[in-house]
Amino acid sequence: MKINAPLVVKTLTGFIREETRKAGFDRVILGLSGGLDSTVCAYLAARALGPKKVLALIMPYRDLDKEGVTHARLVAGLLKVRSREIDISPQIDTYFAALPTDNPVLKGNKMARERMSILYDFSAREKALILGTSNKTELLIGYGTIHGDLACGINPMGDLYKTQVRELGRHLKIPEEILVKKPTAGLWPGQTDEGEIGLTYEELDRILYLLVDRRQKPDEVIKAGFERKKVRRIVEMIKKSEFKRRMPPIAKISTRTVGHDFLYPYDWDK
Amino acid sequence: MKIALAQISPVLGNPERNLKSHLDHIRKATLAKASLIVFPELSLTGYTLKDLAPELALNPRKSPVFKKLLEASRAIDLVFGFVEEAADEPGLVYNAAAYLSRGRILHIHRKVFLPTSGMFEEGRFFAAGRQFRPFNTARVKTGLLVCRDFLHYGSSYCHFAGGAGLIITISAAPGRGIDEPQSQGFETSQMWELMGQAVSFFSSAVVVYCNRVGYEDGAVFAGGSFIYSPFGKLVARLPYLEEDLAFIEVDLSEIGRARKSWPFRRDERPEVIWQSLEKIIRESHED
Repeated sequence: MKINAPLVVKTLTGFIREETRKAGFDRVILGLSGGLDSTVCAYLAARALGPKKVLALIMPYRDLDKEGVTHARLVAGLLKVRSREIDISPQIDTYFAALPTDNPVLKGNKMARERMSILYDFSAREKALILGTSNKTELLIGYGTIHGDLACGINPMGDLYKTQVRELGRHLKIPEEILVKKPTAGLWPGQTDEGEIGLTYEELDRILYLLVDRRQKPDEVIKAGFERKKVRRIVEMIKKSEFKRRMPPIAKISTRTVGHDFLYPYDWDK
Repeated sequence: MKIALAQISPVLGNPERNLKSHLDHIRKATLAKASLIVFPELSLTGYTLKDLAPELALNPRKSPVFKKLLEASRAIDLVFGFVEEAADEPGLVYNAAAYLSRGRILHIHRKVFLPTSGMFEEGRFFAAGRQFRPFNTARVKTGLLVCRDFLHYGSSYCHFAGGAGLIITISAAPGRGIDEPQSQGFETSQMWELMGQAVSFFSSAVVVYCNRVGYEDGAVFAGGSFIYSPFGKLVARLPYLEEDLAFIEVDLSEIGRARKSWPFRRDERPEVIWQSLEKIIRESHED
């Protein structure tokens, strides 16, 4: 699972450069939480296009992830990218004052979609393409909000597992405190991804790698020494989240239908 | 013989712009006194065509694009990739490679092995070619292959058995596999180089492989085009992932020298292979 970091950097910076141009933009925008993924993505973008062509939006909700905001500011300063802070608390509080809930997942999803909505608004204001920061681990188990943090123009890191993103971050020399801290989706104070998923990223990624990249059956992965319960749970998570990885199905009733047999490339004439 | 390798990134679905870039590269190669220029697979259209494939198909006998390239071929031999709508089979479109020389079409090869699994879906949009046939050029008997054809070693064998001293593969091969920390390129690039080395050595033939670069719908084309000598030695390899136009001197007299040193060609028995294959096919045929 180790990666050839220089090759990955070369490939992904080229991808960001070329796809940004093809989409008709010369700059990019991303939500910078101060976590590992958005930090690594910001480093790649700054390297691909130059820091002036990168706009980082820091969008905190109250004091939910103070450390994240500190780290995001640090990254924006180190990279000398443009950055802007937008507090999403007023709109989130207004909504949940009218429609209260105790469910932190509902709140987290709402926040993710508020950030998405701001990113798309700024994409249009600033004529900047949105970089997605979801990694392969999240995409496979569906650990992301549909039409929230999963929404983007291009996703440079979607084929790198979380532990590989960390390896890439080490290669790119991102701040040590971001490399070592526990990943969090910032759903509630003290929340960690690993606590919520119930597995460490090391273990999760190794199981996913065998299932997905090595095309092993769940039983083979269990035989390789992983706990049956964990493997089963991961397979279930993959199965249940396919809807987050696809365009919604269209009922086919004509002889030629979008998505079924009307098939054109994304990068058509670009 | 000087060979130009045009490791380009075609514009997807825009043959006019690609024709212009072909003519630019041809001009440069002519100035450099190259006698052959090779472009990648589907170089006139880009690779990930899907439903664009039939829309961009050309009939080589009628196409104005071909007319321009035929004119250009008076100065230098050309190999490039295009979508062919064959005059003899209207409605069927092929992923094809053309060899033009001195204003004439010397050969068109229709890709036989269409990858249709995983990230590939060529079988959905193209008809499959049905033969490998080497042909004579002014300098050397030549065989053409398109991308995946080269990874099925029977394809190169046909050219070897037919006496080709030059085997040219045009390619749009995406790079995959980042697990090897020491390599400069993707793991899959090594697969092509392995085949290049083996085919050149065991066919005592010059092997030319021109792969494209650039990104299409998330696929990353790996570049790393190469030429191997008839002794299986690497003559040149272009950079991975970067556009390039390289001029490479190839010594065709090495074909004869290699065939004297290693008489694989002299001792080959295609009729035995043919009879064996016939038997295998007859016996494994399912009614």
